[in-house]
Amino acid sequence: MSVAATRLDRTLEALADPERRRAVEILRQGPRRAGELAAELGLPPPAMSRHLRRLRLGGLVEESHPPFDARIRVYALRPEPVAELKAWLDATERAWAEQLTALKAHLEAG
Amino acid sequence: MPSRVVVALRVEASPERAFQAFTDEIGAWWQPNGLFRFTARGPGRLAFEPGAEGRLVETQPDGTVFEIGRVIAWDPPARLAFQWRQEGFGPDQQTEVQVRFEPVGSETRVVVEHVGWGTIPQDHVARHGFPLEATQLRLAEWWQALLRRYQAVAGAR
Repeated sequence: MSVAATRLDRTLEALADPERRRAVEILRQGPRRAGELAAELGLPPPAMSRHLRRLRLGGLVEESHPPFDARIRVYALRPEPVAELKAWLDATERAWAEQLTALKAHLEAG
Repeated sequence: MPSRVVVALRVEASPERAFQAFTDEIGAWWQPNGLFRFTARGPGRLAFEPGAEGRLVETQPDGTVFEIGRVIAWDPPARLAFQWRQEGFGPDQQTEVQVRFEPVGSETRVVVEHVGWGTIPQDHVARHGFPLEATQLRLAEWWQALLRRYQAVAGAR
């Protein structure tokens, strides 16, 4: 099985649980501490940890520490960097194509 | 992953005229758009300060001048290059626009290369809250596709 397919399987597996999908929905609003997520979902901390581990393996969330306290873990949704850059370049290309079309119209109007 | 964008178009004009229109008259033809918004205060009017020591600036509606970038190459009628920075760029983010004017018979092929896109200006979107920027749109599409795949897999069980 290809690496990409394996990753997709992990991602789908991570999402194949209603509590984890709910956690993803909450994280769409912004990063949260594990404790905050557990409270919002009404889950005991060990269950929350297991869910976050699966979400991390699925590449859906990333973990960081606030600079003032290495013991606190903050979770955030992970954007897909390559797809985003590709989309950005596509949009930039379209924007330049529009500009050149405008330059052409300007040059050929007179 | 390529970090450059290349766009080309033929215009019915000589390279000399095309170079002049691109530089001297940029304020007349440039179309402000969401992606090429240089500051949150704009859009303003673009102008080249000509020559090898020149720069590309945007004059804001309130009169302040934002420097988009210094001129790197000013070689009429063949070549023009300048730095390109938008307010939302990160401190390390530096892009460059290279323009070539190539004669094709009595016409000119204008080639724009925008290089240096190793990263996306993330806070460009976040800080100014630009509506439906490509990055946000793409993220939404990604999620939708993922959830559709999920539904297909879940539904097959």
